[in-house]
Amino acid sequence: MPSNAPLELTMIEAVNLAMAHEMRLDKNVVILGEDVGINGGVFRATDGLQSEFGIRRVMDTPLAESLIAGISVGMASQGLKPIAEIQFMGFVFAAMEHIVCHAARLRNRTRGRLTCPMVLRAPYGGGIHAPEHHSESTEALFAHIPGLRVVIPSSPLRAYGLLLGAIRDPDPVIFLEPKRIYRATKQTVRDNGEALPLDICFTLREGSDITLISWGAMIPETLSAADKLIESGIHAEVIDIATIKPLDIDTILTSIKKTGRCVIIHEAARSGGVGAEISAQIAERALLHLHAPIKRITGYDTVMPYYRNEHHYLPNAEDIFLAATDCYNYK
Amino acid sequence: MKYFKLPDLGEGLPEAEIVTWHVQCGDTVKTDQLMVSVETAKAIVEIPSPQNGIIQTLFGAEGDIIHTGEPLVEFAGEAQHDSGTVVGEVKTPQHATVSDDHFIIGSGAGATSAYKRCTPAVRALARRLDIDLELVKSSGEHGLITFEDVEHAQNLRESKGEQIKLRGVRRSMAKNMAKAQEQVVQVTIYDDADLHNWADDNDPTMRLVRAIATACTLEPFLNAWYDGKAMALRPLKTIDLGIAVDTADGLFVPVLRDIGNRHSNDLRKGLDQLRTDVKNRTIPPSELINPSITLSNYGTIAGRYASPVVMPPTVCIVGAGAIREEVVVAKHEPTVHKIMPLSLSFDHRPITGGEAARFLKRLIDDLESAQ
Repeated sequence: MPSNAPLELTMIEAVNLAMAHEMRLDKNVVILGEDVGINGGVFRATDGLQSEFGIRRVMDTPLAESLIAGISVGMASQGLKPIAEIQFMGFVFAAMEHIVCHAARLRNRTRGRLTCPMVLRAPYGGGIHAPEHHSESTEALFAHIPGLRVVIPSSPLRAYGLLLGAIRDPDPVIFLEPKRIYRATKQTVRDNGEALPLDICFTLREGSDITLISWGAMIPETLSAADKLIESGIHAEVIDIATIKPLDIDTILTSIKKTGRCVIIHEAARSGGVGAEISAQIAERALLHLHAPIKRITGYDTVMPYYRNEHHYLPNAEDIFLAATDCYNYK
Repeated sequence: MKYFKLPDLGEGLPEAEIVTWHVQCGDTVKTDQLMVSVETAKAIVEIPSPQNGIIQTLFGAEGDIIHTGEPLVEFAGEAQHDSGTVVGEVKTPQHATVSDDHFIIGSGAGATSAYKRCTPAVRALARRLDIDLELVKSSGEHGLITFEDVEHAQNLRESKGEQIKLRGVRRSMAKNMAKAQEQVVQVTIYDDADLHNWADDNDPTMRLVRAIATACTLEPFLNAWYDGKAMALRPLKTIDLGIAVDTADGLFVPVLRDIGNRHSNDLRKGLDQLRTDVKNRTIPPSELINPSITLSNYGTIAGRYASPVVMPPTVCIVGAGAIREEVVVAKHEPTVHKIMPLSLSFDHRPITGGEAARFLKRLIDDLESAQ
């Protein structure tokens, strides 16, 4: 039937499809943000939605992130399901007070009387030759806040399923979209309304020699490193964390106990990154299974460089391949 | 626009039925050209093309219901591609780099801990002493290997010698034997064949091959595979005889195919070839699989009777011991005859004792005949 027709979509189109699906299904879902309406979003994530659902459900806001987040908290507490778009993650800081002090705490503050079923979408990460404030990966800031769920897709299929899951979740979800791979690949997506579960990792490749743990735009790099490792006879298991908070440590530990080795890959700066948390939990709970020290491949503890140098900053498949080979051959 | 979706037809109706397509895949269309007629609950509505382009896909056939917002038509190409962005550049590579269509939610099935647990310091000690932790017996909680365990392994090695990890053929022998022991309910019966009628140039192996073929033909249930889970016996159409061959590397069982329908010279040549291939380790794996019955001719080395192990899914194995001269009573007189001791092991789950004994009788009758 047509509703199940397979579509070849990019990640940005899959994001659009998921929002459109849920808006048709649930009248309480609304979208707000800068240029999301008439313009269709700076990356075209909301393309065509205002013309289908009208200006009362797809709202262009002023250039004021604090307002976007504040209105969303208010809407969510009163029964709507707002999807707020922050144009670039680098602009989210004006909205932090509402996210951290209200969205994350509403359930606890009201002893469960009110929840905050909002999604805050933001494109994040480097690799698109953008100017300052447009390339950061600060997912760890949100992961540190109790009460926030932080979800990051890494393919069109997972973007569709995870965004549906995020919209349906009764609590606030920070949905971070790796913009570098918005249009990098197409996948067959069916608009069947099936959400993927949150709070669980995805095993993208099964292998017995080493575990590669990553998320977001580093997943394609990690997968191509894994493909190259096979040529050296090293079978890597690739885990997409997907929900970086709360962390599905069980899937990670199961894999570590099988392989005995791991490399964690993220684009964000090294110190205090989510990789450090994963590394700590592996050390706490699976140290006795490890055959080699845990390795991290990350961005640097510097300001994200301007675009001419950003390729020096971003981890790539070659970095991951070398680290994994080292880790595998550790004596 | 790549996908043209069914627009809201202005009446708040959630769906429409396709009545007639006015375009086909591959058609070039112009803006406002009529593409499709759809029927809502209220009226037939004509839907024009929103743009110039080539139709790549039509979603839905005439009679299908399409919901508002679902794709109706896909236009070919990316000519009007709009990736947005006022800053930066979101690229679409020409070729997709890696495949990522299938993934597992959570862990893969059957992921179990592959390694023994120990603290990093113990692991370092084992590495220094060149001790394989997988061979060390653990005494700690939940299988944890301790310093003492590694030291004990080191002492054992020094006083008793090195432990050899089984590899290759010997390793698979160990696995298969354990599997057989676990599954088969084995019974072995013993008897002798009197070879007094043989001519001097009779080849014991080829006589055994022929006798097994004859016995299988008369007692077809012994030439069969048994599936213990399904409790189903499959009597086999051809007789493929596995012949146990001893080598320094371990036990090989090459298979001599279709022994019921081949001439003995042909079989002899085939068997010699198999033995040479085993010896040179050039035997293809296809020659080592799926026997229907097995012969262990250990008597060429030594041994009278044995309890050879039935390898599932086959249901029996014939063991032939060393031929000896023995005083027997013939025509009420003591006399010396050549005797071949025989052992038949069978799986008593699908095979009765009667069937096995009759099989053994046929085998002996054929062996005791003159030719």
